[in-house]
Amino acid sequence: MSGLRRRLRPLVIPFLAVISAFLVGSIFLIFTDIPALQKLLAGNPLDFLVTAVGNVVKAYTALLTGAFGDPGKFVDAFRQGTPEAWATAFRPISETLVAATPLIFTGLAIAVSFRSGVFNIGGDGQFVLGALGATAMALLLRDLPAPITLVGALLAGVVFGMAWGFIPGFLKARTGAHEVITTIMLNYIALQIVQLALRTPFMRPATGSEPISKVIDFARVPQLIPLPGLRLHWGFIVALIVAALVSYFLFRTTKGFELRSAGLNLTAARYAGMSAGGSIILAMVVSGALAGLGGAFQVMGTVTQMSNDINSGYGWTAIALALLGGTRPGGVVAAALLFGALNNGGHEMQIETSIPLDLLIFIQALVIMFVAAPDLVRQIYRLKPKGDETGAPAEEGAAA
Amino acid sequence: MTAAATSPRAIVPAASEAHRRAARSARIRGVVICVLALIAFGFATNTMGDKVTFKFWLTEQGKAFIEIPTSPGVLWILAGLTTGLTGLWQLWKGASAAWRRWLILWLPFWVAAIVGTMLAGKTATLTNLFAGTFEYAFPISMGAFAAIICERSGMFDIAVEGKLLVGACVGSIAGSMCLQVLGPETGAVVGPIVGPAFAALAGMGIGLLMAWLAIRYKVDQIITGTVVNFGALGLTNFVYLRVLQTYTDYNTPPTIERIQIPVLSQIPVLGPILFQATPYVYVGWVVMLILTYFIFKTRWGLRLRASGEYPQAAGTVGINVIAIRYRAMLLAGAIAGFAGSYLSLHSAGSFQMNMSAGKGFIGIAAMIFGAWNPIAAFGAALVFGFADATQQLLSTLGVDIPPQFLASVPYVLTIVVVAGLVGRVRGPAMAGQPYEQG
Repeated sequence: MSGLRRRLRPLVIPFLAVISAFLVGSIFLIFTDIPALQKLLAGNPLDFLVTAVGNVVKAYTALLTGAFGDPGKFVDAFRQGTPEAWATAFRPISETLVAATPLIFTGLAIAVSFRSGVFNIGGDGQFVLGALGATAMALLLRDLPAPITLVGALLAGVVFGMAWGFIPGFLKARTGAHEVITTIMLNYIALQIVQLALRTPFMRPATGSEPISKVIDFARVPQLIPLPGLRLHWGFIVALIVAALVSYFLFRTTKGFELRSAGLNLTAARYAGMSAGGSIILAMVVSGALAGLGGAFQVMGTVTQMSNDINSGYGWTAIALALLGGTRPGGVVAAALLFGALNNGGHEMQIETSIPLDLLIFIQALVIMFVAAPDLVRQIYRLKPKGDETGAPAEEGAAA
Repeated sequence: MTAAATSPRAIVPAASEAHRRAARSARIRGVVICVLALIAFGFATNTMGDKVTFKFWLTEQGKAFIEIPTSPGVLWILAGLTTGLTGLWQLWKGASAAWRRWLILWLPFWVAAIVGTMLAGKTATLTNLFAGTFEYAFPISMGAFAAIICERSGMFDIAVEGKLLVGACVGSIAGSMCLQVLGPETGAVVGPIVGPAFAALAGMGIGLLMAWLAIRYKVDQIITGTVVNFGALGLTNFVYLRVLQTYTDYNTPPTIERIQIPVLSQIPVLGPILFQATPYVYVGWVVMLILTYFIFKTRWGLRLRASGEYPQAAGTVGINVIAIRYRAMLLAGAIAGFAGSYLSLHSAGSFQMNMSAGKGFIGIAAMIFGAWNPIAAFGAALVFGFADATQQLLSTLGVDIPPQFLASVPYVLTIVVVAGLVGRVRGPAMAGQPYEQG
């Protein structure tokens, strides 16, 4: 019993953080519910409360069914047994995993950089440039057999991401330029590069003036389950494998040990004979490569077309994922699955209750806040102020 | 390195190696600058035949004007001459030449020459370009001021962007509510005051939240900034889509009109550029002057800087570092929130999604570019605002230059500055470090 308890202990804070974020989100939902507020102004507080809270419950229910599927559909599929019925039943879960795939990559990218003591805020830029590189390479190699094109495109994504991670890493190692500032600036430069590239005839489709690229359906990442309408592709499996590799790299190899040492105490690592500059650059390059690969899979597997809005803040969400997952690859994957479910369910919520998807961005920000301030969560829920698994010592402030 | 920079002529044997290195890099720099001058002359011979006309309004838009017909070639010759002089000066004086100061002399000519070449055969109204520069620079400079106050007190502030967004949203809603509640006549008078005031209050609220998280719970200040930026984007988008899009009455704020400053606005050429602007621009000037005075000339400023540079020492002599940091975050929030209201309230505006569009981050860039000094940061903001205004000018005149190049200028310049490629700047030593009150 106590063993189980010790295992569950590190999950308490993240779990409560997510719950609290949703509670705060529901407060904002209630107070932006204008039709319900009008009832309050008309002097019907009870009516207001019932309507507003009812809407919140409806919204969060739509979110859950959108993320995990409708149990009724599963019953139907079991009765009918046709592939179409199964596809309908499984589509929400498939979409959740599709949404989680880029998050796993960017989350891992940020987790590696955080572990190494480097603040990579540039996941966004590395992600879009990875996607751009993959698109460009796929268009270049379009006459070759599809598997070669695909592999070439994915590698190009990795290389572009690496390059965009190398710049801030190199600048930090050589000149001490703060990586937060440089990566933020590089995010914006990456966006401008994408816009510039999407103006060229090489990328643009023959007709139309929108800033989108040609459709790359000739070298798509193959589907995982051959049922109609299930977009889930092998990128998800690759993401899981990469997570395992990152875990091996960080915790079982010498280089990984050096990175983690640099992250814990750069001065001590330097005295131990490790190269501080080298580990900063390595961390940023690995981080950029992971984010770039995520971008490549997003364009080659999910959307098949490069555009300005290929990235919906994955680099920022990744920070939430890395913190929520305790910067451990396994934790990041779990957090990415959760956020993938939220993002996907949010679409369903937006369709059913016309509550904008952007609510989830706000909720994700709140999750970061609560996870980053564990003492705040402990105070709210009256937990004992104890050090959690990530090694954060108990703060005096919480006890006082 | 530092010895060579501060006392280049001092004969200290230990520093001679550094001297030789400084002298060599000075020679290389001189040659490079001279080559640049030759390039400028090369451009001059190619563009001598082109015509470009610059136009200034004398005292009022659309009335009397003066026109200066010229050629891009002339501008290139000026650029070449000033650059060449700088290069020769550098070669003659060696390591002791203060070449960075000379940048101010020749860079404007290069910019004018490049813009002039792109405008070949056209008439460009420079009054609008310069007046636009000040307007575009306003939110950037205020963002920079907010970040300067925070970082001088020892707090990182990458959340300027989020504060601008929330300020824009709250300012628009508060202004619109005034119109709704007080009626169109009173509302149009009160709204332009209430809107920015509430925007500033919202910014203060965010500042308080950030300070509370960072000081009380010791959350990393990069994380709190990320939370605010990301959360502000989500929240304002959410409010816009859920409320403002349907109930447009809440997003039709009163307009803040331009103000003509008596007498000064009638100065020929300069008047329409400097003194017929939106009130926000004047506020920007005033904040810059007050802030500079307060940071560098008052006890408050000394304590602020002390808690950013060496909080332990400040704490030892009895300065309440925590209180200073809280107050700095509140003040910075008010400034950034107020600046946000500019986005939605000036010239018949309304709140739009993600309307800050990276201006907050450019503000941080301006802070670094200006070496954490309000006046220099204001100058940097003007440079960035000029890039925006030029982009605007080129697109209205139909010059087919991809806007992405000019849009990238602030970001590239910031990386160059942070990386110390053109001289190193140094921020407050202890910015971002939590402080434990003993």
